[in-house]
Amino acid sequence: MRVGLVCPYTWEVPGGVQSHVRDLAEALADLGHSVSVLAPADDDTPLPPYVSSAGRALPVPYNGSVARLAFGPLSAARVRRWLREGSFDVLHVHEPAAPSLSLLACWAADGPIVATFHTANPRSRVMAAAQAALQPAMEKITGRIAVSSAARRTVVEHLGADAVLIPNGVSVAAFRGARPLLGWPGAGGAVGFLGRFDEPRKGFNVLLTAFAVLASHRPGLRLLVAGRGDAAEAVEELPAPLRERVVFLGMISEVAKAQFFASIDVYVAPNTGQESFGIILLEAMAAGTPIVASNIDAFRRVLDDGRAGQLFAVGVASALADVLGRVIDDPGGRAELVAAGTKVAERYDWPHIARHVVGVYETVIAAVPTPAAEDPMRAREEEVTR
Amino acid sequence: MTVVVAVVALVVAAASYVTWLARRIDRLYARVEAAYAVLDAQLVRRAAAAVQLAMYAGSHGQLDPIVAEAVTAAARAAMDAGVQAREAVENDLSRELRAAFAGPVSTDDASARLVDELAVAATKVGYARQFHNDAVRDTRALRFSWLPRLLSLSRGRPMPRYFEIDDTALPARSRLGVDR
Repeated sequence: MRVGLVCPYTWEVPGGVQSHVRDLAEALADLGHSVSVLAPADDDTPLPPYVSSAGRALPVPYNGSVARLAFGPLSAARVRRWLREGSFDVLHVHEPAAPSLSLLACWAADGPIVATFHTANPRSRVMAAAQAALQPAMEKITGRIAVSSAARRTVVEHLGADAVLIPNGVSVAAFRGARPLLGWPGAGGAVGFLGRFDEPRKGFNVLLTAFAVLASHRPGLRLLVAGRGDAAEAVEELPAPLRERVVFLGMISEVAKAQFFASIDVYVAPNTGQESFGIILLEAMAAGTPIVASNIDAFRRVLDDGRAGQLFAVGVASALADVLGRVIDDPGGRAELVAAGTKVAERYDWPHIARHVVGVYETVIAAVPTPAAEDPMRAREEEVTR
Repeated sequence: MTVVVAVVALVVAAASYVTWLARRIDRLYARVEAAYAVLDAQLVRRAAAAVQLAMYAGSHGQLDPIVAEAVTAAARAAMDAGVQAREAVENDLSRELRAAFAGPVSTDDASARLVDELAVAATKVGYARQFHNDAVRDTRALRFSWLPRLLSLSRGRPMPRYFEIDDTALPARSRLGVDR
């Protein structure tokens, strides 16, 4: 099958949609399909062979943060050329409601279109106003996919449409068997956190408070932190002797993520805001790292109602300290969490998820109108109607 | 003179807008029709897979012959149903399948493959039904908006109907671990 994937956000900027498109493209190629990706990219970025650049994207404030988008006559021309040269059996656009390449592709394309919706956000007036303008493009989409039930709710509320649910995948193989960082996790145990630790809804402060409680009577316990933020400021409130037991790695690459998980005994996800999915938990499970996570909908669902990871009351540091302490002290319980987590991760492994996506492709390819004479399915339908 | 030019421009603009609307409606009707054809094909495939599995499992002691007979009968009824009765008979089939495979069922290689085939078919029925109903919703939305109604742009065409069945039929192992 010839598949054209459109990524609306700049390829080299790390982001959930970008990695989703990359992993899906590679999984589809492994299944024997021919895949081409169109994405905005800077001219000097080295791109994988299956990615075509649609040129530079401009930074635009969108959806509460700055997104780099490609929109305009030049981008539109590149989209049309890519569509013509690719002659795809199916066009698969991502996040088509964002004013970028995906929307341009919907306007330009004629054949079957699949669209995947990633973000979850509450209904806003801007989105409501945009709906009418988007509708002509949206009604060309043959099949819609949402990556989470929250994203699906957004499709229902914003676009008055619906979508089938196919979750994000995780590349299990990429997280298996990584070597830990030198000296980690260490005899005293190590706890890990990954993400923007200066963003309140990531809940790093909850973890820090719990860590202070635990570390005061566990002399060897350390905390390994990866992600963006000001490290010195983050540990300011911690008693001085504990500060050096919190180690910051800064931003880490995808490859280093596997190493990060291998270097800790327990991964903690203390998020206080609603996450739409919790891909990070899947990655931890794929790596074989036990998880302690706050009890929010998305996490509870991914963690199989607590079987594949311990849950604690959202935002309550003492509850986290309690649960985390128990998990650290119980190697047997950790092994059980890892076993359950591995099973969950396998359900979300990309080759498996990609097969479901191909199932959608097969359904929409048949669903695109073709001249009556050539289409045996239509002949059958007329039979049924009569 | 300017007035004439302005009026002509306005008429041209209005005419092309209406033409564009009519094209959108045409396209939507074609989408509904094609989506129904797929749904039909997937339903037939599901019923065929159900018959195969029930006959094999029933004759190899993996399924109570009475249950197997009920599944086969429901599947054949689904394949024979006309458009009007379709939703009801497909629901019956879903129900029979759920009942037949509610508990653990012993399988050998052949029936495991048939179970997988049925699961794939059932999943695709879900996709096809979703996509069909999406097309119906989009078509109805445009038909109900004021200008197409005023100009009766979809004159002579039936209002597309949703296809509602419970297709959460089947063997849990085929489904993903979210949103059960």
